Amino acid sequence: MNQELTKEIAKKLMEIKGEARGVTLNIDREYILKEKGEEGLKKLEEELEKLGCPIKYKKIETLTFYPVGLRAISLLAIKKVFNFDDEKIKEMGFYGTKISLIIKFFIKYVFSFQEVFFKESPKIWREHWTTGEMVPVDLNEEKKYAILRLKDFNLHPIYCRYLEGYISGLIQLMVKSPKIICEETRCTFKGNEYHEYLIKWL
Amino acid sequence: MAIKEKNKEKDKISILLGDLASLESYAKDLFSFLPLPVCLVSSIGIILEVNPALEKISGYRIEEIIGKSAEDIFTEEEIEAISKETIERGSVLAKETSIFTKEKRKVPVSASTILRKSEEGEIIGYFIGLFDLTDVKKKEKELKDTQLALLNMLEDTKMARQVAEEERDKTKAIVTGLADGLIVLDKENKIILINPEGERFLDVEAKEIEGKILETLVEKPSLKKLAELLSTKETKRGIFRKELSFKKPTERILEITTVSLPPREENVVILHDISREKLIERMKTEFVSLAAHQLRTPLSAIKWTLRMLLDGDLGKITAEQRDFVEKTYSSNERMISLINALLDVTRIEEGRYVYRPTFNQIENIVQFVINSFKEVIKRKKIKFGFKKPKEKLPKVKVDVEKIRLAIDNLIDNAIKYTPIGGEVTVSLICGKKEIEISVKDNGVGIPKDQQQRVFTKFFRGANVMRMETEGTGLGLFTTKNIIEAHGGRIWFKSKEGEGTIFHFTLPIKEEFAEFLKKF
Repeated sequence: MNQELTKEIAKKLMEIKGEARGVTLNIDREYILKEKGEEGLKKLEEELEKLGCPIKYKKIETLTFYPVGLRAISLLAIKKVFNFDDEKIKEMGFYGTKISLIIKFFIKYVFSFQEVFFKESPKIWREHWTTGEMVPVDLNEEKKYAILRLKDFNLHPIYCRYLEGYISGLIQLMVKSPKIICEETRCTFKGNEYHEYLIKWL
Repeated sequence: MAIKEKNKEKDKISILLGDLASLESYAKDLFSFLPLPVCLVSSIGIILEVNPALEKISGYRIEEIIGKSAEDIFTEEEIEAISKETIERGSVLAKETSIFTKEKRKVPVSASTILRKSEEGEIIGYFIGLFDLTDVKKKEKELKDTQLALLNMLEDTKMARQVAEEERDKTKAIVTGLADGLIVLDKENKIILINPEGERFLDVEAKEIEGKILETLVEKPSLKKLAELLSTKETKRGIFRKELSFKKPTERILEITTVSLPPREENVVILHDISREKLIERMKTEFVSLAAHQLRTPLSAIKWTLRMLLDGDLGKITAEQRDFVEKTYSSNERMISLINALLDVTRIEEGRYVYRPTFNQIENIVQFVINSFKEVIKRKKIKFGFKKPKEKLPKVKVDVEKIRLAIDNLIDNAIKYTPIGGEVTVSLICGKKEIEISVKDNGVGIPKDQQQRVFTKFFRGANVMRMETEGTGLGLFTTKNIIEAHGGRIWFKSKEGEGTIFHFTLPIKEEFAEFLKKF
């Protein structure tokens, strides 16, 4: 996780099979513009160019699919250039749900939380990624917790932090609560078979 | 062939993705551009999307507000009602509600909603469009305040009008019931009001003369007289009083008092009927005149009899008898002078006091009077002074006998009421149009509370009555009438215990002026 992004690492990441929608990279673009402005975005693009991955964020199309490795490279470059910690990466994930066009366009927020959770969560994943599978495992509205499992997805540990924020934001759109916490309880990078996220709310 | 087909499909997808990107950009621009705050609320009441205008009005950033419960920014009951109505009817139009900003400030808004359904017909949320009513409410409040202020003003005006009407009615009742006649004229002499007594005194009807200029109503003799009186300058300043006699409708003497009201230059004319007082006065004067005449004859007979006794025409009398007769003679003389004074007064009042004016040097007349007091001045050791200009004074046209009497009265009073060794000064000052004569003493003075009555008949100061039993109280009344009959003025200043100074003027008239006018 703390390993600095190098050309080699970037190359390896680019070799990972699968694709992600441009919307995921647009989240990074919007967040950097909000936090660091145009100057920040320029710095980030320069760093990516040095790494041999010249991403022009403003040319990224929301619904177009891009190599999955780019998603991790973008986050690692951001972490490197702006010295972001895990909390900041989580915050980016949380922010992503607020501006994601896919979440606004394709998710059906019907009356039942159960229905949205079990039906829409896998759909959300499918709308973004061509690899991996999001599996809703449990939802207990009384005890106010839920479990989501991510299978067959081994991108980079930085994305695990990002996803903690993203899932928090996502659940916030489904349940009325002043505070939602998401924690990765199982991780493939820690020797588990899959990633598992425990979501709790007040 | 299969590769070609695959490429075609790819191209189609690529075109579709491009279209979607354009659509996204279009929707984003439109949503961002919208000046009205808009948000998308999920079916369970979670805010899913907001535009920049809503961020601005709420004070929340996009990441802070998306995911919030709609109840966090709207009033719970109101958003519930709006949500319910939207779900039931499909939309809500311009419903007044409020939103709470991040700083907990309440912003009045008008909310319109439209329901959003999935392709399957499931309700998935609704859009809320807001219109900021802050300015409208502000204007509404201003309007309400203005309306309230106007209502208050109206109420005040109503009350003021009511008070004014009450006052008017009260004044009208007073004016109508007034025993005196009353006329109010504006600055152009237009008759604004005349009360019933005024109508009766002047033999006119209010409806015929109100609103008309007084001078245009001269066909009525009573109004003509009044118009002539009011045309004089004196009636335009302060309070003016004059008696007028009228023949019609009945013979009547009215005391006309005019009061000028400066702010609007209105003139209030009060007509006070003094016919009865005048009649009584005339009867009294006639009685006094008759009694005086009747008394003077026997008093003259007594005088001459006593004179004959004193002159020894009826034989020698003893010293003791002489003393008694002299005292009786002196008392008789005082009685005769009182009767003469009374007769003068009655003549003045009846307008029979005949004046025969001729041109004379006033200093000679004054000197003549002073000479007659030489003996008493000497006896009372009075320091007497007569100040007159060095140059010769112009002549005045006076009835010498009457003017002598007037000056005599003033000097007599001054000497009489000045203690032994006191000072009396007579002065003459020549002005451009008149000569002023003053008589000053350092005698007992006139009490302040009695000064107003100095020129009335039979007035004698309380302090002089205690020290001097003689005196008729008619001298200053006669003097005033004489001076005024000559076109002069008389006045005085006095302080009890310090002395008095009387002034009077006589107009300077050019000799032969009347005669020369003819040429």
